[in-house]
Amino acid sequence: MSELFAGVLFAFVLAAALATAAFRDTLTVIVVFAAYSLGMALFYAFLLAPDVAMTEAAIGAGVTTLLLLLTLAKTVREDTDRLVERVNIPAVVVFGGLLVVMLATLGEFPAVGADDAMAWYNPEVTQHYIANAYDDTGVKNAVTAVLAGYRGFDTFGEAVVVFSAGVATLIVLNKEVFTRE
Amino acid sequence: MRLDAESDTYTESQIIMTTVRIVAPFALTYGLFLTFHGADTPGGSFQGGAIIGSTILMIAFAFGIEPTRDWLANRTVVALAAGGTAVFTIVGLIPMLYGDNFLAHPFFEEQWGIDTKWGLEAIEIGGVAPIVAGVVMGMFFVIAAGFVVEEVDVDD
Repeated sequence: MSELFAGVLFAFVLAAALATAAFRDTLTVIVVFAAYSLGMALFYAFLLAPDVAMTEAAIGAGVTTLLLLLTLAKTVREDTDRLVERVNIPAVVVFGGLLVVMLATLGEFPAVGADDAMAWYNPEVTQHYIANAYDDTGVKNAVTAVLAGYRGFDTFGEAVVVFSAGVATLIVLNKEVFTRE
Repeated sequence: MRLDAESDTYTESQIIMTTVRIVAPFALTYGLFLTFHGADTPGGSFQGGAIIGSTILMIAFAFGIEPTRDWLANRTVVALAAGGTAVFTIVGLIPMLYGDNFLAHPFFEEQWGIDTKWGLEAIEIGGVAPIVAGVVMGMFFVIAAGFVVEEVDVDD
């Protein structure tokens, strides 16, 4: 049952990704891309990564789509009668090469939930977090314990990067926006 | 080429307004839940902050971007992002004042008997969530406002 679900989901995500590349009309592409993000969010939830799924649903499917739609509303959209984009031969060749390389590495990946998955390559570290997170930090979600506790300095860096990127965008694009009374 | 910043992309729609009126409280509650409960359940303040920010985006889409920006009183958005960064930094610096390491949460328990947990909660709830929510709203409003390209003399 769950394999059927994963298969259908995979087909949906693949179709949405191809459609995103193929469609010519920008509005169509944005909507299809949102569908792709939503499919990926379901995929992450299926792979037992609810944190990543929530981020993908909120940022990928929600905020990014809104920002793109807004940009589209602010610019001029090219009217077109063609449904799909013309095929760009050099791009297809490059993409084909990349696809072959990536498919070649696919066989090296461990199966989902396998004992020899990457997480177990460094058992001293992963096991330390799993065994001690609650005693050390007092929070039940080990992900939060690692993000805000053990790796707090990294999170601080990320938070500052998000803040600086936001401020830089405001300054570069239009510094008047928030001073208008 | 640029359309007028005030050009009306807003269309008043009963369907969208009613839907947002019903959905927004639930979305906001879910965002707050993820933020405040992120220490014990999947999710966390990044996801929570993003959802809180998206709720404002939803309201802006339904009821018009200009009224929403006026309602948010302009500086609220920047204050959220800057305040979050300040809270994160201050919580990290307090242990340093007493000779411990930056962001050394166990310090609070040793020094004042405050559970280590609250150090993590403080940077998650008071730091990361406001930053993400503020930046998401800021990006939205700045793009919605349009880009004013001023004529600048090359000699300047």
